Amino acid sequence: MTVAFLRRNQTVLVTLAILAGLVLLMASRYPPRVAASILLSGLTLGSLYFLVASGLSLIFGLMDVLNFAQGLLFMMGAYIGYTLYANPRMLWNTLPLALALMGGGIIGTALARSAWQRTGALALSIERAIVTGAWIGAIACSIIGFGGFDLIALASSSAVVAGGAIPTAQAQASDAVFFGRVIALVLAGLFFGAAIYSGRDRHTIERSRPQRQRRNLILAVVFILLALALTPLRLAGEQFILSLSSDVRFILALIAGALSGAALGALIEWGLIRPLYARPIYQVLVTLGLVYVGTEVVKSIWGPAGFYMDIPALFNTGGENCPSPDLISWLSNHCASIDVLGRPFPSYRMFIIFLGGAVFIGVAILLKRTRLGMTIRAGVQDSDMVQALGINVRRVFTAVFALGAALAALGGVAAAPFIGVNLGIGQELLIQGFIAVVIGGMGSYPGAAIGALIVGMARAFGDQFVLAGIQLPGMETAIKFSPSIARASTVLIMALVLLIRPTGLFGKKD
Amino acid sequence: MSTTDLLQVETIHTFIGQFHILEGVSLSVPRGSITALLGRNGAGKTTTLKSIIGLLSPREGRVLFGGQTINGRPAYEIAALGIGYVPEHRAVFRDLTVEENLKLAERRKGDLARHADLIFDLFPDLKRFIKLPGGQLSGGQQQMLAIARALVPENQLLLIDEPSEGLAPVIIEGIVLALRRLAAHTTVLLVEQNFKMASDLADQYFILDDGQTVNAGRMADLVNDAALISKYLGVA
Repeated sequence: MTVAFLRRNQTVLVTLAILAGLVLLMASRYPPRVAASILLSGLTLGSLYFLVASGLSLIFGLMDVLNFAQGLLFMMGAYIGYTLYANPRMLWNTLPLALALMGGGIIGTALARSAWQRTGALALSIERAIVTGAWIGAIACSIIGFGGFDLIALASSSAVVAGGAIPTAQAQASDAVFFGRVIALVLAGLFFGAAIYSGRDRHTIERSRPQRQRRNLILAVVFILLALALTPLRLAGEQFILSLSSDVRFILALIAGALSGAALGALIEWGLIRPLYARPIYQVLVTLGLVYVGTEVVKSIWGPAGFYMDIPALFNTGGENCPSPDLISWLSNHCASIDVLGRPFPSYRMFIIFLGGAVFIGVAILLKRTRLGMTIRAGVQDSDMVQALGINVRRVFTAVFALGAALAALGGVAAAPFIGVNLGIGQELLIQGFIAVVIGGMGSYPGAAIGALIVGMARAFGDQFVLAGIQLPGMETAIKFSPSIARASTVLIMALVLLIRPTGLFGKKD
Repeated sequence: MSTTDLLQVETIHTFIGQFHILEGVSLSVPRGSITALLGRNGAGKTTTLKSIIGLLSPREGRVLFGGQTINGRPAYEIAALGIGYVPEHRAVFRDLTVEENLKLAERRKGDLARHADLIFDLFPDLKRFIKLPGGQLSGGQQQMLAIARALVPENQLLLIDEPSEGLAPVIIEGIVLALRRLAAHTTVLLVEQNFKMASDLADQYFILDDGQTVNAGRMADLVNDAALISKYLGVA
């Protein structure tokens, strides 16, 4: 602390001071209660942008990958969280299938790897035939596994699972049938693993050590056993979740969203990004393509229409004492809004601000105090050197990708009761998150936070300008702006920052 | 090549992108010695070190460490066998404190504590600035930190790339002293443009030219061979 601390963080402090000055200057044009609610709106938006931007910034800083899928992960987080919150049957029906597919996939890759290492060179046509066969098997098995066996008797029933509204009304498949689907997906995983591995250039097949192989196999067996064990528990599990209060379900939704985001992120890094480190442009294209594929997948599972997610009771209680006069009394009555200087402000948005702050501090501690964090900070500067110290930097890449994805998905769940659950929410967040990261500087964690705050404030004040216009001294009527100015303002700020500092406020890379 | 050689490089060919940088480099480093790798700018010295540590992967040839073939393995595995790498331009981690820079180099818990005496004895400055970010050290201190980082784990071989680059003569002096003391503990392969420094330190040398090993021998003989020196190193 003290002088050394001030000197070390001088850029951050100076920027914060300038920012605070600007914000206060703008806020001073409004009566205090209006100003307060604009500031809180700005903080709310800033929190959401931060949850997407922090991952973008860390991933780009460490591995030079622009992860366009961050918005997709935000959206998927919202859908998964919503599903657990409102329609847990769907999750209980999917979880065993996903586990089975993953377990089969791990075993399939291991088998294919050792098979390809053992066989000598094959004729190209034979190799192609094997790969094609594996793909056909994989796709056929997954159609049966995911679609259910009623696909075979398609003509007899019109209630096909894929597409359309969520199958709440649909009867629960019997356990025996479901076991069959689990096994079909294990098979699909085996085929997928074989297809993916044999399709690779043989020279790039990594040597794998027996120890790691054994660990992977154990993991695969655990996945498959878990899938089998969960199958008879689906109904009980669904009823258990529905019996919980909305608050507990909401917390579970946050956790499930973040965890599934982490799993998806790790899967994307391992399956799509890692094979392409030698071809960086392809990595960007692959994440961009993933957005389209992922959006369609979500559409085919949940349907094109969006959902509204209820605000949990903790933030949604009415009554005569509402709105709560302050935060302390809110703790006892959980009103839907809190009185801020005479104007009610939704308490759920307060929660989003709190969540953003908590995540910021949590990740900051991770970066500052843990060995993983130390490795990340070092890797942002020079990942080759980290590797030359004997650290497996690729594993750190996977961890960071998973972390970034988890934060975005967490943001999606948190935003769901506020902005709704639909296919478009990811795009908007991604664009604003990008602007925030560019303003803050690619690869800088505090930069992402400050950038997100700037963008959030700009949006909040922009909306206010649009609503009220600004009246300069000596003018009779206020100047009115078109609503697009609120959105344009963030891009203008970005352009301005880039003119003064081409690397963004705290960026170290070009 | 005798069996006492800790490191053997056998006619390696390394490409960077499509450029054929090393076209058959061979060298051997005996245990417990300082070996200098000499040559003009662009001769392939840094590429040779990167090919040994695994940041680049030779397409042909072999690299043997302690008799074991190591080329083709990822850099983190090669480093973990006991090779410390001190890159050119003193690549210390600017945002990490001196202590964190050293901690990061630990391969087992307590590595730093075990070797702290040696490290801070060689480089007392590092102890003084232990809480300072690496980026705020002077050039010489950064070089010391880069070397110290390679001393944290139990390394059998140090690859040191241009330690004198861009440093004032007084500071180079200090680093020469430190490296000479180090030679008692470990084996060093040193890339150095500063011929005086290299000849002061090394027991033997290899000269690279255009990606090939063109000459090798005892340093004591090279110092007296003005013709050879001016032909390949361009210094009088």
